[in-house]
Amino acid sequence: MRAYTAYTAKELTEFTRTYKLLIIGLVFLLFGIMSPLAAKFMPELLTSFMPEGMQITIADPTALDSWMQFEKNISQIGLFVIVIVMSGMMAGEYSRGTLVNILTKGLPRRTVILSKFTAAVLLWTGAYLVCFGTAYAYTWFYWRKTVNTPGLTEAAFALWFFGVFLVAVTILGGVLVRTSYGTLLFTGLAVVAQFLLNMIPKVEKYNPIQLAAGGTPLLQGQLEAGSLVKPMIVAGACTVGCVVAACAVFHKKKL
Amino acid sequence: MNILEIEGLKKKFGSHQVLDGLTIHVPEHSVFGFLGKNGAGKTTTMKIVLGLLKADAGEIRVCGERAVYGQTKTNRFIGYLPDVPEFYSYMSAVEYLRLCGRITGMSEKEIRRMSGELLELVGLKGVKKRIGGYSRGMKQRLGIAQALFHEPKLLICDEPTSALDPVGRREVLEIMEQVREKTTVIFSTHVLSDVERICDRVAVLNDGKSVMEGTLEEMKEKHKKDSLLLEFPRKELLKQFVEEPIFQNLLSRAKLEGCQVIIHAKDIEQAEAELIRGLNETRLMPSRLEILEPSLEGLFMEAIQ
Amino acid sequence: MHNVDLFLKYLPVFIPVLIIELVLMLTALIHVLRHPNYRFGNKVVWILVVVFIQIIGPVVYFVFGRGEEE
Repeated sequence: MRAYTAYTAKELTEFTRTYKLLIIGLVFLLFGIMSPLAAKFMPELLTSFMPEGMQITIADPTALDSWMQFEKNISQIGLFVIVIVMSGMMAGEYSRGTLVNILTKGLPRRTVILSKFTAAVLLWTGAYLVCFGTAYAYTWFYWRKTVNTPGLTEAAFALWFFGVFLVAVTILGGVLVRTSYGTLLFTGLAVVAQFLLNMIPKVEKYNPIQLAAGGTPLLQGQLEAGSLVKPMIVAGACTVGCVVAACAVFHKKKL
Repeated sequence: MNILEIEGLKKKFGSHQVLDGLTIHVPEHSVFGFLGKNGAGKTTTMKIVLGLLKADAGEIRVCGERAVYGQTKTNRFIGYLPDVPEFYSYMSAVEYLRLCGRITGMSEKEIRRMSGELLELVGLKGVKKRIGGYSRGMKQRLGIAQALFHEPKLLICDEPTSALDPVGRREVLEIMEQVREKTTVIFSTHVLSDVERICDRVAVLNDGKSVMEGTLEEMKEKHKKDSLLLEFPRKELLKQFVEEPIFQNLLSRAKLEGCQVIIHAKDIEQAEAELIRGLNETRLMPSRLEILEPSLEGLFMEAIQ
Repeated sequence: MHNVDLFLKYLPVFIPVLIIELVLMLTALIHVLRHPNYRFGNKVVWILVVVFIQIIGPVVYFVFGRGEEE
């Protein structure tokens, strides 16, 4: 247990000193601010760019627009940034050979994986909370009472959960392929595979990608929160599966 | 008691049989030199002992416990220094040692005590900068400190001096000499002078087997002394000596070099007596007369033939 | 309404965004200048990337371009 906390602390130190914490913190803070602002000022910007005389009617922005921007930004660029940063976690250790020393000290290989997963989830959760908190504050500032859009809690939680799942996939990829580009590719392919599977109606109900894609329809009231339960169970099982598989594969890896 | 026992170790990489029934016993409190050409399988052996590589056959016991691939239980007895140790470049030496200590389950108090002691030993005390800015030699010395951190019974060093300049090499050897009182040291190398300087036992690895093993004295003893060195102050004297008929018998297997001549003989004492008698008769006075010790280099070359 | 007027009107609101982008850019720029060994690319390329590609530029530099600490 002490080895686990020590190694997790090492991972967190690594995030701080290799600027990963800074980047992710600032990028997510930025999204937290930009999502409500984009919702608020987009209509005005659009009309100002319209050619003279052209008439379009744009509804007044609401808190719902703000949260839809949030879902869109995080599920696209936000998760991409997280995966990019996490793709180096295993690759760095492999390429520099830094684990040899640590493992010969008797640290179980399993602990390495569990610590890395814990640290990555902590970083993702922290970044997500910062982003959500900022977006919440700005949304409240502009729209006051309507800030708590129906389905907001469910949508926000589902997106966070999808992030955790993606982190687990990235860790498994890192153990398997040894390079950061390879890891990126691995996670990318996993996401593409989910998009493809979504085309099969029977699979769609269970597809983890619904957690990210379903946020917007959920906020718009086009989707029941209950329909995210199945994807969430599948994503949870896959997360556990990825971590267990990563441990098992790592046990057999030559360093 | 033997701290490390390797029995019939075999390992094949592709079609290349790196280790072919290697057997080695390392007794407690020795500095054990593990010699061999580059690529003889020294690093492979060490990695198998540490459970980083899987052996094809054979058995390894560390302090009487079997070492198994993928498990790291026996590693609690072992401190390991890789040839080029790699650390987290964003940490300082103190932070890295603290991480090592926590991983091995030491108390915070113990960690502080050992860090102070070991950083002093390896001359890194008070160095605040991060490991990324260290020289090769500094990294190697930190490597020794981390390997000794959990007070291992066995310290395994893989070519600890080969990547270093002469200053760094001397520092590392000096540290290893100081450490021998506390722990058993195995170190692999192809630098013979390092072995002569600090090792008391040696094994020579060739073709995947141990071709020679024992204490340095034993090995030299076994390969009996058979050479006499004779040096004259001037070349003319040497010429005179060589032409003297009385010595022709001795000179049948001799080698001339500058003002020196090296005489080989089966019975060295008889040859020496004959030589001194002859020198006395001819009044040829050498400036030096010496029975040559067999050199480690000679033994090594002989062993790997 | 004119674009410049619009920009000036909402400038205070966008100041936090600009500050964050500036902080990202400056930290990356300082790091590029202070640590002249990169995993690939050269100083000029990284300065251009960091200064002219908003957000993603500094992120890419820190994740892929930053060399080992020396």
